[in-house]
Amino acid sequence: MDWECCWSKEEIEPENCPYVGEGEEDLYSSHRRRVVEKCVECPRFKNDLARMKGSGYPLSDVLPFIMNEFQEQKAQMGAMLSFLNSKTREIKFLREVGIVLQTSIDLDEVLSIAMTAITAGKGFGMNRAFLLMTDKERRHIRGYLGVGPRDYEEAWRTWEDIGRSNFTLRELARDFQKTKLTSEKVKFHDILNQLTVPLADQGHIFNRALQGKKPILVENALNNPDLDRGLARILGVDCFLVMPLISRNRRIGVIIADNCITQKPITLQDMQSLETFAFPVAFALERASLYERLQEEVAKQKSANLKLREQQELIVKMEKMALVGKITSSIAHSIRNPLMVIGGFARTLLKGSAEDDEKRSYLESIVRETRQLEDVLSEVLDYSESLFPVTDFWDLNELVTKALSDLEGVMEQAGVVCRQELSPELPMVRIDYKQISYCLKTITATALACMEQGGELHIESLNDGDGVLLRISDSGKPLTETAQEALTAPFFQTQEMGEGVGLALCKSILERQGNSLNIFSRPGGGNTYSIRLLTKKENI
Amino acid sequence: MAKLLVVDDEANIRLLYAQELSDEGYAVVTAASALEAVEKLESDNFDLAVIDIKLKNESGIELLQRIVKERHTLPVILCTAFSCYKDDFSAWLADGYVVKSSDLQELKDEISRVLAKRQKGAFT
Repeated sequence: MDWECCWSKEEIEPENCPYVGEGEEDLYSSHRRRVVEKCVECPRFKNDLARMKGSGYPLSDVLPFIMNEFQEQKAQMGAMLSFLNSKTREIKFLREVGIVLQTSIDLDEVLSIAMTAITAGKGFGMNRAFLLMTDKERRHIRGYLGVGPRDYEEAWRTWEDIGRSNFTLRELARDFQKTKLTSEKVKFHDILNQLTVPLADQGHIFNRALQGKKPILVENALNNPDLDRGLARILGVDCFLVMPLISRNRRIGVIIADNCITQKPITLQDMQSLETFAFPVAFALERASLYERLQEEVAKQKSANLKLREQQELIVKMEKMALVGKITSSIAHSIRNPLMVIGGFARTLLKGSAEDDEKRSYLESIVRETRQLEDVLSEVLDYSESLFPVTDFWDLNELVTKALSDLEGVMEQAGVVCRQELSPELPMVRIDYKQISYCLKTITATALACMEQGGELHIESLNDGDGVLLRISDSGKPLTETAQEALTAPFFQTQEMGEGVGLALCKSILERQGNSLNIFSRPGGGNTYSIRLLTKKENI
Repeated sequence: MAKLLVVDDEANIRLLYAQELSDEGYAVVTAASALEAVEKLESDNFDLAVIDIKLKNESGIELLQRIVKERHTLPVILCTAFSCYKDDFSAWLADGYVVKSSDLQELKDEISRVLAKRQKGAFT
């Protein structure tokens, strides 16, 4: 029998089978492969089978069963192979993303990689993605970055560009970071601004995804009763995916992905793939933002250290000056009294000597020279006095009364009433009068500055163990923590207080003498400055 | 004749003060320490005290504060090596303030000023 199909021939010529295509020429001489790959699906073979059945061939009845089964198995194998191929591609891609994410500590680079991976055709191929991150105070989720085209035209342009380039994911991400990161933030500014959601809003889909630690696929958003329609309107799509970013139970943020241009449905498989991807992204984002904060802290620490070193140098310098002052003062004192005696008695002798006494000029020389020496000593002593403290026992209440009487005019002008409550039974305090007077005046001036609209200044002194406490309270606006910091950090600038040198100097003066200065903001308003002065002698 | 108490720990300076102030017509009693000064203040009446602010081993300021507290009526003139204390002391503790010098004219002027002021105050 002449068969239509070539199945019975060992070798064929090209004109014998039209189904052998280009590149498959070896099938002409390979009988077995030709039958398995081509003949089983060939319509001519099916005709031959029909003819066989009519001619009473016994195998012709069962052969179709085998043929069908074979074709089914072949189709299944094909499907499995394609599934396997797609999974292999996905794993390869995730591996590439993983490596890139693991090796990056730069927040912008991590963001660029993540967003490129979601939107690039080589990656998950979504049209558009938004990244929302938890703010530093951990109160809100805020729109941070959007990636993707805004309209169809832009989409075409971008996809054409990407199609022409043969970049790896890292290269694509680098290119994105370099050329587009800033512009994309600006491009989606309007949408990003509307995506802020409080973390406390439990019912919001972002928080639901974070709580459930699972992505949520939103379909038919405009008619979904469980969903705020506003979100769909902001995004301009009714099908999108909300992917939580969680690292070690810490809520890092949320990714929203959609196909706003192609309107291609988001499949369960897309969702699962993105879920696998979300974990390393969240981890990398957390690590990068922690690293960024660490860098900030290191920079702060460095500048604090620098300041500290400068201050230490200043202190050493001041101590040296104080020592110089002390020595100078000691020498000057020991010279001063004898000089006074010499000059004084020379004057006495001069008074008693006759006008024509020859020795009178000698005495006049002694008087003149001692006077000159005394003038030099006065200068030296006044200067050395300014360099180191002279402590003595003083009545604090008298010091307060005197200092405040100096400030009476200023207080009156500021509309501030001063109420004094000075304990009559105070022991003497060992202080440098000038310095403590300066501190009190500086603190009072600071308190007055806090009472721009007038108010009450309350000053009280009281016993406190081995010391005396002096409290100055104003009724002005409470100083912020930053302003209070000005106490401990000289040259620290605040809006309320300007350069905080005055109070810092007070604190340093007080502490050098073993005393202390603390500042509190009272819950009801106003601030209290508390100075504690020792009544015993301290080693200073 | 006004009676003055001069407190200074240097013997030669006490001698100089005594000599010069006696010449001015004052009765001068000297004390070498705060303790001696207090004893003399308790046993005698003075019109004015001249105190050196730096007495050895004790503070002239302490003595001054005791006088201010216990004897409100006794005028005090402070003698010190420092001119920078002048504003603080003269305003509320002492009636007069003089920077120590071999030229005692300033001290003498200050004594007559304070005594005249006190005299005036006594009549009014």
